Amino acid sequence: MAPLPSPTPAVRWRPAATAGLLIAAASGVSAVLDRHVSLASQAMLYLIAVVIAAYVCDRLTAIGSAVAAVTALNFFFVPPRYTLAVEHREHLITLATMLGVALLVSWLSGRVRSESQSAAASERRARQLSTLAAELLDAADEAQAVAAGERALRSAFERTVLVTLDEQGAMHPADGLAPAVLQSLRCAIDEAAVIGPGTGRWPGIDAWVLPLGSRGHVIGAVRIEPAPAADQLGREHAAALASVLAQGLWRLRSARASLQAEAALQRQRLQSTFLAAVSHDLRTPLAAIVAAASALREQRGRLPAAEQERMLESIGNQARYLSGITENTLQLVRLASGPLAPRLEWQSLEEIVGSVLGRLRHQPCGARIEARVETALPLVRGDATLLAQLLTNLLDNACKYSAGAILLSACRKPDGVVVSVADRGPGVAPADEVRLFEPYFRGEAKAAGEGAGLGLALCRAIATAHGGTLAFARRRHGGSRFILTLPIEPQPEAGA
Amino acid sequence: MTLKVLVVEDDPVIRGLLRASLAAEGFAVTTAVSLSEATALLQHDPPGLIVLDLGLPDGDGAELVRAVRQRSSLPIVVASAREDPAGKIALLDAGADDYLVKPFSVAELLARIRVAMRHRGSVLQPALRRFDGEGLRVDLDARRVERDGAPVHLTPTEFDLLARLLRSGGRIVTHRQLLTDVWGAEHVADTHYLRLYMGQLRAKLERSPSEPRFLLTETGVGYRFAID
Repeated sequence: MAPLPSPTPAVRWRPAATAGLLIAAASGVSAVLDRHVSLASQAMLYLIAVVIAAYVCDRLTAIGSAVAAVTALNFFFVPPRYTLAVEHREHLITLATMLGVALLVSWLSGRVRSESQSAAASERRARQLSTLAAELLDAADEAQAVAAGERALRSAFERTVLVTLDEQGAMHPADGLAPAVLQSLRCAIDEAAVIGPGTGRWPGIDAWVLPLGSRGHVIGAVRIEPAPAADQLGREHAAALASVLAQGLWRLRSARASLQAEAALQRQRLQSTFLAAVSHDLRTPLAAIVAAASALREQRGRLPAAEQERMLESIGNQARYLSGITENTLQLVRLASGPLAPRLEWQSLEEIVGSVLGRLRHQPCGARIEARVETALPLVRGDATLLAQLLTNLLDNACKYSAGAILLSACRKPDGVVVSVADRGPGVAPADEVRLFEPYFRGEAKAAGEGAGLGLALCRAIATAHGGTLAFARRRHGGSRFILTLPIEPQPEAGA
Repeated sequence: MTLKVLVVEDDPVIRGLLRASLAAEGFAVTTAVSLSEATALLQHDPPGLIVLDLGLPDGDGAELVRAVRQRSSLPIVVASAREDPAGKIALLDAGADDYLVKPFSVAELLARIRVAMRHRGSVLQPALRRFDGEGLRVDLDARRVERDGAPVHLTPTEFDLLARLLRSGGRIVTHRQLLTDVWGAEHVADTHYLRLYMGQLRAKLERSPSEPRFLLTETGVGYRFAID
């Protein structure tokens, strides 16, 4: 309901003054025209004044002005003039008719006025409701929803208080509220019912207190002042606003709850995928090691020397592979557990490439790697261990999934230092490309083979932690290319 | 005389394996499973070299490194499953001769033991002053460096850096040690000096700077001049 200005003395006499002026004006005009018009016309002039007064003023003033108009006509213009006596019976009828018409007109125009006022009020209320509903839909979190609710209440009522309950059932905000206010809010929440004048509960207070939500699902309360017991429409509007607000808040709360549940589920799913992947990836090489070792122990005398050599080599290779998985898992945990910032130092990519190559050259596929590193590359800020791990993983993958030459190149490009690893393997199926960097993802080609699917996920995590990117590209004549781009920062000064 | 090696390792499998492998190479091997046992053995039956695991039941192997360094230059090769670079650096700075990360191969361990033994007499004998191999010839006393027979010009800083690495030939020299000895203690944090000057040195001395043969990087820890 619209803010009803409480009638101050200054406002109280204004309608009466308006009506008085209108009657005075009608008297003036009638006096001027006195010689030229009949008493009936003068009565009409007074009627105009009464109609206007009835439209612009309240009903009481309208009735008053009707009586005043008849009295003034009688006093000034009905002979004998300047008395309230009436000479002719005909004039008496004229005056009585006029009084009847004036009262009827004032009553009718008063009704028109109040209907148009209530139409405007209900339009305003409808607008407030729809604005609130729209703002609640847009609200991204509870704070925004509460703010929208407070705006809507303030636009409709004079003094409002809005509190919400947290998960422990405590009211927010509770500071700065008078004990009586808090008590009324708590009562409305506990009883899940509206209290205040006209509701049958707590009629003594000058406020309505409405719970937000229904019994069992109350998430707050609204207190509205002042609250005239007779203002049924205002109370209904308050209830409508409270209900829309409660629905909006509930929607946000349940959305948040379902998001949390979803995240927990996702974590659980990831964990079990991880366990499945790890146990598969640990079991396969372990099986190979156990098989080879037991064969060597039990059948050594009967196995050809070349076969024994092959088994020994496979024990070494599988063990190294296990060590690689462990390393990747540890680094992933390390990256996931905290920010990288404290360990960022100036690093030389040439140096990191060199140390990675130095290690891989001892392995069977090391000879296939062809390195092209541009001279005088800018230094990058990073963690050498992690960057080396990234390159090792990319090169390991290329070794595993391709047979020909592997090209490792590092050069300076406009958007950063670019390190790429390219092979001529079967490449990545287009369907797999999007999920390539997801943890625990293994492409079609790899399904039968090894790999925890951690390698590329770790690579991307490392690239991101360095402010860089890791991308996949298909090579023109077959094969894959992984491209690491690291930002070039202002270079440090060289010491003497 | 046979070199006596003390293996300090609490895992029975690895302890047994190391004992067998080292004995097969002709070393006399004693073993200890804890810090206290190792300390006792050091007093009563001093070895010529220690192979040390870090996580021991009664304390950290790093304590042993510090205790030994207070009294002698006995070579210590650390063999541990911890890969954290900060831990490695701390041990090397405390005086360990070398560091191996588990899993390692026996061949790697033997190579590190050989390097550590070469430096064993460094108190009496001058440190490595010359190097000649695979086309690189360095003579620190004459301040001469040649590659494939042609003299190479090094700036004074480049020469100091090379000299510091060569003196510890075969062993890791940590970033801190290099920065302190070449640039001075106030520059211990300026690791970018090392990146830049090692790059320049490699460009001048290595056939393929991106795959160095002599000036090797120990990622996150330091550098090593490979002598074999």
